[in-house]
Parts: sequence; structure tokens; C-alpha cells
Amino acid sequence: MNKNITILGVGNILYRDDGVGIRVVEKLQMEYEFSDNVSIVDGGVLGVNLLGVISNAGRLIVVDTVLNHGEPGDLHRLDHHEIPNRILAKNSLHQVDLIEALTLCNALDHVPRTTIIGIEPKDMETLGDELSPEIKAKLDQLTEKVLEEVSRLGGRYSMIRQTK
Amino acid sequence: MGKKIIVDPITRIEGHLRIEVEVENGRVKNAWSSGQMFRGIEVMLQGRDPRDAQHFVQRSCGVCTYVHALSSVRAVEDACNIEIPENARIIRNLLHGAQYQHDHIVHFYHLHALDWVDIVSALSADPVKTSKLSENVSGRPEKSDYFKAVQTRLKTFVDSGQLGPFNNAYWGHPAYKLPAEANLMAASHYLEAIKLQAKAARMHAIFGGKNPHPQSLVVGGVTSVKDLTAERIDEFAGIWKETKAFVDEVYVPDLLAVASFYKDWAGIGGNNNTYLAYGDFPQQGVNDDMLLPGGILMGDLNPKPVDTRLITEDVTRAWYEKGSAKHPYKGETKPIQGEVEYNTDDKYTWLKAPRYDGRSAEVGPLARVLVAYTSGVKEVKTLVDHALKTLGVDTKALFSTLGRTAARGLETIVVGNAMEGWINKLKSNIASGNKKTYQPWKMPDKGKGFGLNDVPRGALGHWIEIDGGKIKNYQYVVPSTWNLGPRDNKDQKGPVENSLIGTPIADPKQPLEILRTVHSYDPCIACAVHVIDPHTNEIYKVRVI
Repeated sequence: MNKNITILGVGNILYRDDGVGIRVVEKLQMEYEFSDNVSIVDGGVLGVNLLGVISNAGRLIVVDTVLNHGEPGDLHRLDHHEIPNRILAKNSLHQVDLIEALTLCNALDHVPRTTIIGIEPKDMETLGDELSPEIKAKLDQLTEKVLEEVSRLGGRYSMIRQTK
Repeated sequence: MGKKIIVDPITRIEGHLRIEVEVENGRVKNAWSSGQMFRGIEVMLQGRDPRDAQHFVQRSCGVCTYVHALSSVRAVEDACNIEIPENARIIRNLLHGAQYQHDHIVHFYHLHALDWVDIVSALSADPVKTSKLSENVSGRPEKSDYFKAVQTRLKTFVDSGQLGPFNNAYWGHPAYKLPAEANLMAASHYLEAIKLQAKAARMHAIFGGKNPHPQSLVVGGVTSVKDLTAERIDEFAGIWKETKAFVDEVYVPDLLAVASFYKDWAGIGGNNNTYLAYGDFPQQGVNDDMLLPGGILMGDLNPKPVDTRLITEDVTRAWYEKGSAKHPYKGETKPIQGEVEYNTDDKYTWLKAPRYDGRSAEVGPLARVLVAYTSGVKEVKTLVDHALKTLGVDTKALFSTLGRTAARGLETIVVGNAMEGWINKLKSNIASGNKKTYQPWKMPDKGKGFGLNDVPRGALGHWIEIDGGKIKNYQYVVPSTWNLGPRDNKDQKGPVENSLIGTPIADPKQPLEILRTVHSYDPCIACAVHVIDPHTNEIYKVRVI
């Protein structure tokens, strides 16, 4: 059994679909109960400040928007080796984001095996706390993908409330 | 007309900032700071329950979640005339103090150090000499084997072609002045600081309910009731102690060691004559007996009390509809419709220009330390005088990029020291049966109030107007807007714009010197929109709305 499976939702709920990772986390927290080896974290838009959470995880499941040249609502699963292991250089500067935080974990000697479960967004530029209808319609499916991952890693869960 | 350099984006963390400078004869002649993202969260808040505002505002920034929530609840408490209990004040101070310890360490090592420390040069350092150096200057000396191991790890990063966290095209730049051994020592502490900051963030999880988005703050106090046990307080105290030891033994000695090689920067990056501190860490009542006092310095060294009625925001040079400078209570957020044009002769930013009594003012560690120093706060005076003496510079050196960076380290000590007293007070209150953390209250039909907060980056204020029990108007003026804001109707530059004037530029293609000054402000233009693109490695897909 994997110890400390961490589900980390990231994104900004103020920019519509960018918040989808957080919406999944909220749904998991409200509608499901998990075995003790599963923890759920709302990572918001934190980058480097998530290092503690990441480095303490035994296995990491990240829920986020993923741009993969697909249609809005397409679901993606990126496994450990498919995640770009890099820090961005933009005009030789860098911004610390989630991927960077993962890379920084190299320096901590502990890089949890990570899977990213993501969805292609439709609108992340308009200010608003509602998902776009296309993405909202896929929320259950996306959540299901995360739960599958939890099962695969040896976490258990049960539903505590009927979904709509 | 000189040569123009544009650095975009410049923030190492969440946000999007563009700096344009004009260079003539090797020095910056003119500068423009532009926030490239529209922040219109205020509009979203209208009509909502005032208690919910904190949950929205803490999402506006990836680093400052707690401090926005704190300003927001303080604003509602002010509007509703609520006096929070002593334990709530102490717990809020402890959470805020933890934020200072965490953020300032992260800023120095992970957001600013690489402007001064050349990682590639560290590869050629002699580990034995580095060990000797660390015995001389660091409170935490290490053996040569340790530095050898760090060097090997750095080499792996460099050889892999991905410098990893140390990605920067400026290695070898002539403005890097540290000897190879000092670079290696600083690089090793960069790595130590990563571990430490992960630990320090846990302080928030103890009284914050959870980190990164603390949930224990409520209008009326805090809800950390179940964490008010001697055991939990001791857990907090344990991390505090470890963090403080790092600040005293590693951070501040490193700061002074690095500064000693860059004394020329004690004459660069000043140029502001107005410094604003709201003050924070009340030790009595709601906002009395501030550990770091509030005050405004306007061209002299005689701090005056802050009068928030004198605060306005000017939109002459920002992408908003025309209007006169307004106090935040009357503040509007009316972006220009359609495409906006970046034009340094007209409008060039999404940031408004905050003004105090019509003047642009620097906020943040330097402002706080100057106000505390000139107000006669003994501990601050002792620390500042000691640092100046160690470096062999006079008080004029404070008004600079180096002074700003040093002030940040010194106030980390002051806040860290004070936390011990708060921890003990909380413990004794709990032991004597005083466990009150919440003051019950009723939502008024109408109310007006503001919440001030001096957060790691500087003076933060939230203003709220309540009508019918709902938010009628909400405005916040954040530290980065004060520091990075544009010119105004009188063509008066913002603090960062002023600071850049006169900066020497060795190589316009590699404007490392600009980064030093801009990063010394710990810039953060809120609201990162981020996505992962596995194909192009392109992360930030941010477009101006």
C-alpha cells in the first residue's frame, strides 16, 4: 500500500476554468471519504510554497488544466516520465510554478512519483468563479479519473453523498 | 535618445511584470514599470456576503493568501465595530509572523540571491577554502566534504543541460563580484533554505487549519479552538525555533557577507523620498502598540502618523477610463474597453498609481525599517546600526537597493524575536483557562471600514462598504501597486521607476542590474493563470483582457 497519496488540485478559481483542479478537490472533499493514506490539498496558485506538500507526498496526483493541443474538455493523464522536468527560462528569468516546484524537489532528494490528471480548458482568461459549461459537464468524469488513480495506487474511498 | 531595454516578465513568481528602461552612456536614464495583467476581483465581490470576501481575495495571489484574508477580515471587523479577543490577536500575529519568516527567507535565497550569486562560478570553488569561509562568516560552518557534495549536485544540474532551479542566462556577467567560494557557500544555503521553507510553511498549518489556504480566520476572531493545546503550541514553537536559528545563523550572516562585496549597491536603487508603513503586529487592543510602527516619511526623517484619508489612486497612465484620483472608498475599477495599447507616453499598465497626499511612496521592508528607526524603536535601531557598522557604511546606505534587501533580513529578526513572547502569552492564557478566540457579532445593514496590514511585501489595505448586509464596494491597494505603479497626472514616477534611474548597465543585452533593484522590492503582480503544456514547455498563457 502506498503511504501518503496526495491529491493536489491547483489553479485559480477566479479565472473560470483555471480553477477546475480546485473544483475537483472540493468535490472530493465534500462527497467522498478516503482511507487514511490519502490526503487532499487545495494548492490554489501557489508554486514554491507547495514544496512542503509535494516533498511529504509518497505519491502525488496533480489535478490541473493541461494544454495539449486538444479540444476543450479533453481529459489528459500525464505520467511521471511524461512531465517535463525543467524550469522555464523566459528572457533568462523564471517564474516558480508547479512544474518548477516539482523540479526543485530534486534538490530536496525526494521527488514523489507524480501523475497529472488534467483537462483541456476553454476559458481561463475571463474573470469569474464559474467553470464554462463544457468543462463543468466534464467535472464528474475528471473526478472519476482521479478516483481511478487513487484506487490504482492503493487508496480507498467511498461516497458520502449522492452527486447531482 | 538612449538604447531601450525591455525585460518582460520580470517577476520570479506569480505574476507578470514588464520593465522598460532607456539607457544612455551606460546608465538608466528613464524607466517604465508595467503590470501586464488586469486584476478586477473587486468587481466580482460586489453583492456578496462581506464574510465571503476573504475567501476570494486570498485567491488573488499565490504567495500572499493569508495576508489578504487578514486584511479582509480586519476591514469587515472595522465596518462592523468588532473587537477581537486577545487570543485571536495573538494567533493572527503568530500566523503573520510565520509568514514573514517564510517569505523573507524564500525571497532572499530563491527570488533574489541569484542576482548576486553566480552558481556556475561555484563549480570552480575550492571546498576546503569554502569550509574555512563558512567558519569565518556563517553561524553554521560546514566541513569541506559537505561543500564538495553540494558542488557535485550543482554539477549534475549544469551537466544535464537543465540548470534546474538555477536557470539564468547571466552567469559569468561582470557584475557578479563574489569569489567562487562565497558563491558555493551561498548556493549550499540556497538548497538548505528550500528544506527550511517547506518546514516553515507548516507553522501556518498548525493555527491556520490548513496551508496553503488558511481557514481559521473568521470575522470576529479565529477558529483554531481545537489547536489551542500546549502540545500544538509546542509544535508551532519547535518550528519557530528552528526557523529563527536559520535566520540568525545563516540568512543574516549570508546577507551581510554578500553585501560586503556589493557596497557600490548602497548607492544605487534609492531615489524615493516618501516611505509609507501602516505598521503591524498589534500587541494591545485591535491595533495598538505595534511591534513595527506605522508612519509616513516625506522627504525628511520625522515620521508622521498615517492618515488613510490622504490615500488616493490615480489612473491617468493606466488602462482605465478617465477619472480623477480617488480614495479607495470611492474607488472604481473601470477598465478601458477593447484592445489596450502599450504606450509609455500615455497609458502603459494595468496598475493604478497609489498616492499618499499626492506623493508616490515606497512600501515594504525598507519603509518599515526606516519608520521604526526614525521612530526610535530600540531593537530596530540596534540591528540597523550594527549592520551599517559591520559593512562600514553610513545611514545614507539604507536608501538603496542594498538597504532594501538588508532591511528585509533585519526585520525578519525583529518579528522572529517577538514571536517568542506571543507564543508564551498564548500558552499562559490557555493554562489560566482563557480560551476565548471569537467575539460574536451581528451583520449591520450598513457599514464602512478598512483593514490595514503591513505584510512581508509592504502596506496592504482593504476598504469595504456594506449596504443591506452585502458588499456595495470593495477596493484593495496592494504593496506591489504602491511600488510598481506608474506615473500619475503630475508625471510623478512610481517608486520602482524612480529607483531604476541612474542604475549602471554593463551589458544592455544582459540587464542583470535592473533585476537587482526590481527584485529588491519583492515584486508580485497578483493572479497567475497557469497551465501545463507538455509540448512547448510554455507555462504562462496570460493575455491581457
